Amino acid sequence: MEDKAGVEFVPSIVGFLCNWCTYAAADLAGSSKFALPPSFTVIRVMCSSRIDHNLLLSTYFKGADGILVAGCHPGDCHYGEGNYYARRRFALLKKVMETLNLDPERLQLSWVSASEGKRYAEVVGEFTEKIKELGPNPIKNSTRF
Amino acid sequence: MTDSELKGAVLPALKKPGGAVRDFLRLAMEKELADAVILPMKVPSGDSFAWILMNDISLLDDAVPIAATMPVQGAKALRSLTRKGPGNLKIIAVMRPCEIRAAMELSKLGQVHPENLILATYDCPGAVQLQKYVDDPAGSEEYFAGMLQKGKPDDSAKPVCHTCENFSMFDSDIHFGYLGLSEKEVLVIPGSEKGSALLEGLGLDLTKDLQAWEKGIDQLKADKLNSRKSTFEETKAQLNGFNGLLSVFANCIGCHNCQSACPICYCRLCYFDSETAEQDPDALITAAEKRGGISLPVDRIMFHTGRMAHMSLSCVSCGQCSDACPVSIPVADVFSYVADQTQRTFEYTAGRNDGDPLPLRQFRKAELPGVHELVKDADAEVPSHE
Repeated sequence: MEDKAGVEFVPSIVGFLCNWCTYAAADLAGSSKFALPPSFTVIRVMCSSRIDHNLLLSTYFKGADGILVAGCHPGDCHYGEGNYYARRRFALLKKVMETLNLDPERLQLSWVSASEGKRYAEVVGEFTEKIKELGPNPIKNSTRF
Repeated sequence: MTDSELKGAVLPALKKPGGAVRDFLRLAMEKELADAVILPMKVPSGDSFAWILMNDISLLDDAVPIAATMPVQGAKALRSLTRKGPGNLKIIAVMRPCEIRAAMELSKLGQVHPENLILATYDCPGAVQLQKYVDDPAGSEEYFAGMLQKGKPDDSAKPVCHTCENFSMFDSDIHFGYLGLSEKEVLVIPGSEKGSALLEGLGLDLTKDLQAWEKGIDQLKADKLNSRKSTFEETKAQLNGFNGLLSVFANCIGCHNCQSACPICYCRLCYFDSETAEQDPDALITAAEKRGGISLPVDRIMFHTGRMAHMSLSCVSCGQCSDACPVSIPVADVFSYVADQTQRTFEYTAGRNDGDPLPLRQFRKAELPGVHELVKDADAEVPSHE
C-alpha cells in the first residue's frame, strides 16, 4: 500500500512479548537470521498476563498501527497458568474495542514458544502483512486523542 | 427470579411500601435481631439524601427507606463499613437492587465483607436524576410517588432505569415486593438462609404464594427488555469508532467525577490520576509536529476506554456516572451497553452472589476460540502441550 506521495506504508507495530517464550523466540529468530520486519518494536514483559489494558490502549491511541501480545503456549506458562489469564484479559479488551468499533483487528494474541524462532518470524511477518492491508491507524493523524 | 416453592410473608402496609419497610426494621431492632440499620435520610437542607447507619430506633421515624434519588451509591456506604472485615454488628441495609449488586461485586474484589450484613432490596421503580431532585425536591417527590405507584420509571428517572432488567429481587437476603399486588400489601420474601432466619426470628409466617407478585415483575421485565434493546441499538449507532467516541465524549472536561461516583472504581490511586498517565511535554510537541496539531490535555478518550476495560465486567448499570457528569454526557448509556457486551463474552452477570469469581480471576483451559491467532496446520507446527 502506498500513500498519495507514493511512499510505501511501513506499519509501526508494537509487540509485547513474554520473557520466557516469545522473547526468547525473537532472540532465536534473530540469531537464526530469519528476515524480520524493521518496524516491529519489541517490549519485553515478564508474563503476557502482566500487561495492563491501559498499556495496550495507550499504544493504540498514540498511533501504533498494530499491537501483538505473545506468550507461551497454553499449558507451557513459566508461572503455570499466566497465559490463560492473559487470554481472558485480551478477550475483554478486544471486546471493548469491537463494541466501540475501534478496529479490533489491529490487536493480535499469539502463542510462540522459545524454540519456535521460525514460527516467530512467520507470526510477525504475517501480522505485518495484515496491518499493511489494513492501512495506517487513523488515530495516528488525528489532532485529538 | 425465584423458584415456585418460595413463599413470602405479608407485611401490614398502611402507608406505602416505605412505611412497611420501616415497621419491619423497627420490629427487627426491637427483637434485637439486628444491631443497626443503614437507611437513607433527608439531609437538613431537604434537597438530598444521605446514608445513615443508625442503632437508635427513634431515628427510624425520619428515615426514608425508599428514597426518590440516590446521591451516593449504597455499595460505597457498605464498603466504608466493612472494607477491613465483617465487623461484629449485625446490620440490615435496605438499598436499591443495583446498589446490592454493586456491593456483591465489591465483595468479590475484597472491598465489602457481607458476612454480618443482611442485604435487603425492594421492587425499585427507578431513581430520579440527582440534578433534577436537587433543583426541585418537592416536584421530584411527586414524580417519585407516581413512579412508586406504577412501579416503573418516568421521564424524571435516570435513563438507565428505563433499561434495567434487574430492578427486583436479585440475590439479596430479603426482598420487599409490592408490584402486581393490591395497594395495601407488601410482601417480605427471604432470599438466603440468613434472610429466612431473620423472618423466622420475627415470627413472620411465610404463607403467601408469590404468583401475583411474580406476574407483576415478569410483565414489567418484558417491557424493560424491549426498551433495553432499542436503547442499545441507539447507543450502538453512536459508537462508530474513534470519531464516534470523540462526539459522545466531546464535552468531557476531564473531571473524573464519573469515576469517583462509580461504586466499582475503588482503587485508591487510579492509573488515570497518576503521574504515569501524564504525557511527557516533549512527546506532546513531537506529536503535534507530526499530526499538525493536537488538543490539550490529551487522553480523555483513553480515560473512558480504559475505564471500560477495567470495570465494565463489574458494571451494574446503576447510572451514578451519568448523574455525576457536570456536562450531561450519557456516560451510563455507553458503559451499560459496553458492560452488556463484555459480560456476555464471559457469560457473566455482575452482582450475582453464586460463588462465581470475577471473570478475570478464573479461566477454562479450552475456551474463547478465535481470540488468539489460530495456528495454521497446528499439528505440524506446534508440539503437543497437554
